[in-house]
Amino acid sequence: MKQFISFITKEAKHIVRDKRTMLILFGMPIVLMLLFGFAITTDVRNVRTVVVTSSQDHLTRQAVDRLAASEYFVITSTVATPREAELLIRRQKADMAVVFSPDFASRREGIQFIVDGADPNMAQQWTNYATGVIANADAALVNSKMLYNPQMRSAYNFVPAIMGMLLMLVCAMMTSISIVREKEKGTMEVLLVSPVKPLMIIVAKAVPYLVLAFAILTTILLMGRYVLGVPLQGSIVWIYLVSTIYILLALSLGLLISNIATSQLMALLLSAMVLLMPIVMLSGMLFPIESMPPVLQWISAIVPPRYYIQAMRKLMIMGVGIGEVVREVAILSGMTILLLAVSLLKFKTRLE
Amino acid sequence: MNAIEVNHVSKSYGTLKALDDVSFTVGKGEVFGLIGPDGAGKTSMYRILCTLLKPGQGRALVDGFDTVNQMAQIRSRVGYMPGKFSLYQDLTVQENLEFFATLFATTVEQGYDSIKAIYSQIERFKDRKAGALSGGMKQKLALCCALVHQPSVLFLDEPTTGVDPVSRKEFWDMLQALKEREITIMASTPYLDEVRRCERVAFLDQGKIRGIGTPDEILTRFADIFNPPAIEHAATSETHDENVIEVEHLVKAFGKFHAVDDISFTVKRGEIFGFLGANGAGKTTAMHMLTGLNQPTSGTGRVAGYDIRTEHEQIKKHIGYMSQRFSLYEDLTVAENIRLFGGIYDMSDADISRKTDELLDRLQFTDHKNDLVGSLPLGWKQKLAFSVSIFHDPSIVFLDEPTGGVDPATRRQFWELIYDAAARGITVFVTTHYMDEAEYCDRISIMVDGKISAMGTPAELKEKFRQPDMDHVFTYLARQATRSSD
Repeated sequence: MKQFISFITKEAKHIVRDKRTMLILFGMPIVLMLLFGFAITTDVRNVRTVVVTSSQDHLTRQAVDRLAASEYFVITSTVATPREAELLIRRQKADMAVVFSPDFASRREGIQFIVDGADPNMAQQWTNYATGVIANADAALVNSKMLYNPQMRSAYNFVPAIMGMLLMLVCAMMTSISIVREKEKGTMEVLLVSPVKPLMIIVAKAVPYLVLAFAILTTILLMGRYVLGVPLQGSIVWIYLVSTIYILLALSLGLLISNIATSQLMALLLSAMVLLMPIVMLSGMLFPIESMPPVLQWISAIVPPRYYIQAMRKLMIMGVGIGEVVREVAILSGMTILLLAVSLLKFKTRLE
Repeated sequence: MNAIEVNHVSKSYGTLKALDDVSFTVGKGEVFGLIGPDGAGKTSMYRILCTLLKPGQGRALVDGFDTVNQMAQIRSRVGYMPGKFSLYQDLTVQENLEFFATLFATTVEQGYDSIKAIYSQIERFKDRKAGALSGGMKQKLALCCALVHQPSVLFLDEPTTGVDPVSRKEFWDMLQALKEREITIMASTPYLDEVRRCERVAFLDQGKIRGIGTPDEILTRFADIFNPPAIEHAATSETHDENVIEVEHLVKAFGKFHAVDDISFTVKRGEIFGFLGANGAGKTTAMHMLTGLNQPTSGTGRVAGYDIRTEHEQIKKHIGYMSQRFSLYEDLTVAENIRLFGGIYDMSDADISRKTDELLDRLQFTDHKNDLVGSLPLGWKQKLAFSVSIFHDPSIVFLDEPTGGVDPATRRQFWELIYDAAARGITVFVTTHYMDEAEYCDRISIMVDGKISAMGTPAELKEKFRQPDMDHVFTYLARQATRSSD
């Protein structure tokens, strides 16, 4: 036990004395949260809109007022022909145009949207929003209601995603690098030629990073709650418990990487490139899994953050009970046990 | 009972046979040397004995325990110092020691008596980070860490490479003291004076034991390898009067610490100038200023006719540089490396290909032109690195411990190349920890505490300080250092 504690102390000292890495480890979550929360946002806001109409009847007036009153659209000008509106969009003076047919008032239909489709996702969203706003103009043809995220804030979506990405990166990358560093420096040889059990070396390596991961998790949750205003609907206890399983999974993955990698650079590349790409692309963090081609959907089925992010969205945003995330938790636990078993079996007590 | 028994041990990595039917025994309390050139299989032998590798064939016993089946018993009773300093650089001296003590389920207090003699020398630095210690100090600390659990067998894999002569002597005095406590020691070293301090040595070459015996027996039997005849060096009869290096009152200060403290000297064209000093005496800093990598705090200097303060770009074009650490790109072939360095110095393609052929011919490397540098033996790499560093015919070449870790015969061949270069008018500025190499130089300066404390030909220095050889001259001067050796 004393050996174990002294091992952990040693490891903690390595971490604490490496000021730059510490700064990155804690700076990264904060910067990412601020970036995703404020700068990179897919929220629809202040879309520059041109209104194309030739008549000034009551109904058209009303629809335009609705658009202008919503926080999503800003009416920048009113022109007479669609041609002029297109020109405005082309010159980057406007993002979309709403064209009312001259007989809109009598037919109660005949609206066309001309949208800058350079960013198809955003264009799609603008159209949806505009339809919603205008459809409500004459009191409820369709009345849609957003559950859990009434203002459709993207932060609700990103906070769980950032947690999934960062915890995986920090745990897998840092454990693998710290083990490989000992191999490179030759200290691993001395550790192996000591009576200490290799399993203990590994567990002791993981403990400080487990603590670190919790610190990062807490930072993200606090920032999410108090800076970005993302609610924590579900039970904190369950959020932490599910996160613990996920962190253990990431640590085992790091251990597995350290078995393969022979240099710190290789460990870094393996964990950063090999892990980061699938996490960002295939975990459903940025792009919905349902709209991927089937092959990618199958691949995403083995990307662990996918389940963690899903579970966190349910627990944090929807505020459902643990009963609703049993499937995700079961898959994550299974993956953890599998990875841990493989990496412990593969850990070498000798040099080859 | 013997402390170590090795019976017909072989070990291969793929097709490479690292150890080939090796057998020897080491008695309890013996100081046994395992010597041989780089790549002879020494490290593989240590790793097998420390249970880090399984032998391919054969069996090895340490303290009566089998290295394959009784791993746990062996691991609790051996101390091991791998070639690199196996310390945690970001932990302090004391933290390192405490960590290694708990690792072996003991405490520094319990083991203190066994390391007192050694630890007392570094105890005053106990709050300093291990990474900030000098080579000699690190080595003492590593030894303390390997000894704190009072092992019965100690394995030392080239523990003194890159350490200055004085620290090396102290280190072996410590090993001698351990013998009184019946600790069996198996050590390897490229230094002959250290070989002589073993009771018996085994000469390992290309994975085979060539001979086992007392140091004198082995060194005489393999005299052509360990004690090659001294090189004939035609004393440069035509003395060039032209100075290629002129340095006056050069100082480099880091805060209050004067790493180089007011040195002045000149080096003439075609001269081989040995620049000696203990670890931390200021050699590397001085060399960095001369090569334009670092600005002096005060003082003036000219190298190859250019001012070291203002014309360092010019200096870089007119000098060659070879260090122990960076020599060549291991993943490029011999020819590609030469081509690259020729290109860096802006030589024409025709020149490069003509001189490449000449160079390969001179080194008898033509067959290996397209081999990856990484696959060459260390001695060859060093020769190649030197040849590449003078490929562009610089007026001076700076060599920073160029021959670390190779056997005397290979070093001798290396020095033939140096003489060859000097004969062509290239000035050679060399640092080394091998005192036999110091004897090969035309003139020597010895730095102590940032100052040059002696300068002259080897013969002059020996006479002045009334010492039999350069080794004694160096030890005599370096012992006067007052600055802590790091």
